[in-house]
Amino acid sequence: MSFYLSTIVVYFGADLMAAWGLNMQFGWAGVPNFAFIVFQAAGAYTYATVTLGPSGGVTAFQHYIFGANLPFPLPFIVSALAGGVVALVLGLITLRPLRRDYQAAVFLLFAVIAVDVVSADVNLFNGSNGLAAVPQPLAGIQNSLGLGGYQWLYAAFVVVICAAVLTLIRALGRSGWQRALRAARDDEPAARALGINAPVLRLQVFVIGGMIAGLSGGLLVGLISAWSPGGWQYSETFAVLTGIILGGISNDWGVLIGTFLVQIAFQELTALFLPQIGYPGLSDALVWVVIGLLWLVVLYFRPRGIWPERRMRVNNAPPKPVERGGL
Amino acid sequence: MLQARPDEAAGRIDHAVLDVRDVRVRYGGVEAVSGAALKIEAPQVVGLIGPNGAGKSSLLAAIGGQAQSASGSVVLLGEDVTRLPPHRRARLGIIRTFQTAGVFDGLTAFENLLVAGVGEEGSTLRAALGTRAQSRRRTQAASDLARQVLEEFEIWHIADLYGRELSGGQRRLVEIARCLMRSPKLLLLDEPTVGVAPHLVDRIGEHCKRIRESGVAILIVEHSMEVISTICDRVIVMASGQVIDDGPFDVVMQSGSVKEAYLA
Repeated sequence: MSFYLSTIVVYFGADLMAAWGLNMQFGWAGVPNFAFIVFQAAGAYTYATVTLGPSGGVTAFQHYIFGANLPFPLPFIVSALAGGVVALVLGLITLRPLRRDYQAAVFLLFAVIAVDVVSADVNLFNGSNGLAAVPQPLAGIQNSLGLGGYQWLYAAFVVVICAAVLTLIRALGRSGWQRALRAARDDEPAARALGINAPVLRLQVFVIGGMIAGLSGGLLVGLISAWSPGGWQYSETFAVLTGIILGGISNDWGVLIGTFLVQIAFQELTALFLPQIGYPGLSDALVWVVIGLLWLVVLYFRPRGIWPERRMRVNNAPPKPVERGGL
Repeated sequence: MLQARPDEAAGRIDHAVLDVRDVRVRYGGVEAVSGAALKIEAPQVVGLIGPNGAGKSSLLAAIGGQAQSASGSVVLLGEDVTRLPPHRRARLGIIRTFQTAGVFDGLTAFENLLVAGVGEEGSTLRAALGTRAQSRRRTQAASDLARQVLEEFEIWHIADLYGRELSGGQRRLVEIARCLMRSPKLLLLDEPTVGVAPHLVDRIGEHCKRIRESGVAILIVEHSMEVISTICDRVIVMASGQVIDDGPFDVVMQSGSVKEAYLA
């Protein structure tokens, strides 16, 4: 049980980090990034390839590019950079003045194509089998700590990284930069007419979100030692988004609650405790149906989530909102 | 608050605030503005009138940078801004409102002003990653000004309402108040009184006059002749993408150009 709990802590930390990263892009900047999971995958594959060593030798059973043997903590830094680079390239293409629904379609297609390409090209990241036997960070200390102790130490490491990411996000969240992003999200022409260079700001938040996603991917592989296309289907992005929408867009603590409910309480626990029904795979498919329904229910009954964005108050006695169309 | 700095005023005294020459705006095969020209000296409120489709909003867009001019030039205080993107023009002092009030719905009224008030330096990622003391100082200055402007516009009581919670008239007032946070040199107002209750129309007119008195030039697109006659020092008439008359309200009205434009 202790082993399972420490695994859950790592999953939750990585999922939460990813959710905060996507919230920056989607909640703050309004970018409908349905390709978010690709950034996490970029970080995960990068972590794997820079720790597995050169392709061939003991890992001859799998093929990959950029084989290296970087010492801790460099693989995590490189995985964050990889997420950032993919975000930069994709952002330069998609974040032009393009209608948001078209943007969403481009992101979705990119996510689908990326999985197909990586699955089909065996030389890239070992195709659909994915990469396995990825070394865990500082694996040498496993001997003295034991597997359980090591895993709790890793969980603590993830929690610390998570806290560092939260500190960064909260600092950014208080800034004029974040306010300018929200302004451009609501009305880009009006924001630009006030001197805000919206495209540049949006690219910046896109890259930062991509780096956080890449880091979360690296942290996940550091635990599970394997990564394959089955783990980063486009639908995974919707699970992250459901957590954000359920918890409260643009509220860091709301996102935390939503991510816990969707990614941990719902997905992990149902997988563990609910009996399999019907034919094999039916229960898993039903989980996605319920996630879709959950999204609709939240948007209908509580569109701003469980813990909505906090209103900035400067006036002690604000009046009640007036009806639209009144004076 | 709205006074131009003495050194700026002294350095640029020879130039018109705005000098537009032979501007053409095309949308596909349609030419919305066909070689329009106008000049505005500060402090002046200039009305831009004409029937629907005359090219008024397109001309405003060409001046603000929302539409690219296919030819001609837009010169602000002696500086050619024709090829500059809208945010660069805004930084130089061309600030505008839109036909549909461009209030940021997810920001409170106060934040709507703050986002304009911290300026481009306060909106950078570098500033966001800087020290808290720096950012607090910058925000404090903008907050003080935002409060002052909201009080002058008599809308301090709605400071904490989100843009989406405001009425049509309040949205207009917030949008105009927000412009003043940027210390504009030229204010472009696109139909600021449309859908606004009569008592607020008067208030918008009064604010325009006050803004002019602080040394800012205003170019206003407006359909209400009452508003135009009350606040404008000069009226420019457009029809079919061209400027067909320019002068004081009474003179333009008597010249028949307005009748001609609206009946054409």
